[in-house]
Amino acid sequence: MTRTMQPIRRFAASAGGLLLLAACASVPMPPTEALKAAEQAIASAEKARVADHASPELGEAREKLTAANAAVQKEDMVVAQRLAEQSRADAELALAKSEAAKAKAVNDEMKTSTEAMKQEMQRNPGVK
Amino acid sequence: MKTSSHSFKLLAIAAAAAMMLSACSSGPTRPEGADEVRGKLTQLQSDAQLATLAPVAIKEAEAAVVAAEEPREDLEQGRHLVTIADRKVDTARAQAQARLTEDQRKVLSAQREGARLESRTREADIARSDANIARADADLSRSQAEMARMDTDAAKQKAAELQRQIAELNAKATERGLVVTLGDVLFATGRSELKGGSASNLSKLAAFLKQYPDRTVLIEGHTDNVGSDASNVSLSQRRADSVKSYLVGQGVGAARLTSSGMGEGSPTAGNESATGRQQNRRVEVVISNPLVSTLR
Repeated sequence: MTRTMQPIRRFAASAGGLLLLAACASVPMPPTEALKAAEQAIASAEKARVADHASPELGEAREKLTAANAAVQKEDMVVAQRLAEQSRADAELALAKSEAAKAKAVNDEMKTSTEAMKQEMQRNPGVK
Repeated sequence: MKTSSHSFKLLAIAAAAAMMLSACSSGPTRPEGADEVRGKLTQLQSDAQLATLAPVAIKEAEAAVVAAEEPREDLEQGRHLVTIADRKVDTARAQAQARLTEDQRKVLSAQREGARLESRTREADIARSDANIARADADLSRSQAEMARMDTDAAKQKAAELQRQIAELNAKATERGLVVTLGDVLFATGRSELKGGSASNLSKLAAFLKQYPDRTVLIEGHTDNVGSDASNVSLSQRRADSVKSYLVGQGVGAARLTSSGMGEGSPTAGNESATGRQQNRRVEVVISNPLVSTLR
């Protein structure tokens, strides 16, 4: 009887532990993936010369990455994970906004040159 | 007994696990700000221009909003998920906006090409009109040259015609002008009336004078030395007058014609011989001739 009870109890205990783990996810492991993703997102944004335009989002992304690393040092992995994820989201937003701004700048330049051409034509007396 | 104790223990563990679980999720609330993020997403999704332009980003944003909307006990986690969702919605909108801007570029490019083409066309028009003006100038100078050539031709023809007429009149170009010498065959001895038959020679002179109306004419009568000076002057004057009145009768303006009797004072030959005297009896018609110089 004790022989049969033993494995069951062991199973039940470990199942309970697993449930607990899954429920609160509080195992202190550094959020390596999230930190790496945030670093890559910031690097991409920098590569796209986002800093050329004033970008509060990119600044925020950098600050959050720094804070995430600090949280890892304090073994506050939950906070580190969140900060890393937010850092990445900020950096991706910075990149997207920068791309949109660049596209707009190109269009504006085209409009300006078209307008300039039209105006020049109007100034030109045309056929003498 | 075996099964009941087993079941009880299982139940107890399960209950404990359930309690633990519920400890993490009891009193769940919808995180603050989730509704606003949902609102932003809906706005993007219902934007006819942007909704289809960033499908992947919008899908990710949708998933993030759904996660943020989930009611939860952990307020920090809730705020975190709302923040993430907010960024993802903004990112999706920015990506869609970038795509839209890029799509509009085709139209802008076409507009610019249109303007450029128009400007080139205008330049070409100007160039063409310049060329036309230049061509017209060239045409004009060509036709002027042509006209000048024609003028020259006409002048040459006129000059040739004049030469011919002068030759016909037996006129001589002298410093005084063209001198046509009408012999004494025109008049009977001692008479001043024109003989019949002399008209053909005089009519040529009349025609010539009518053709060159800008010339004035001096008609001089001359005699030989036979008879008195006074009678010779008088006779020569009358003969000159006869010629003048003939010419006036032919339509030559009297104002252009001056007649004078020179008498015997300007012989062209000696009066010793009959031939010399005959040569001296004459009427000279001097046609003032500015054309003499151009004839040479």
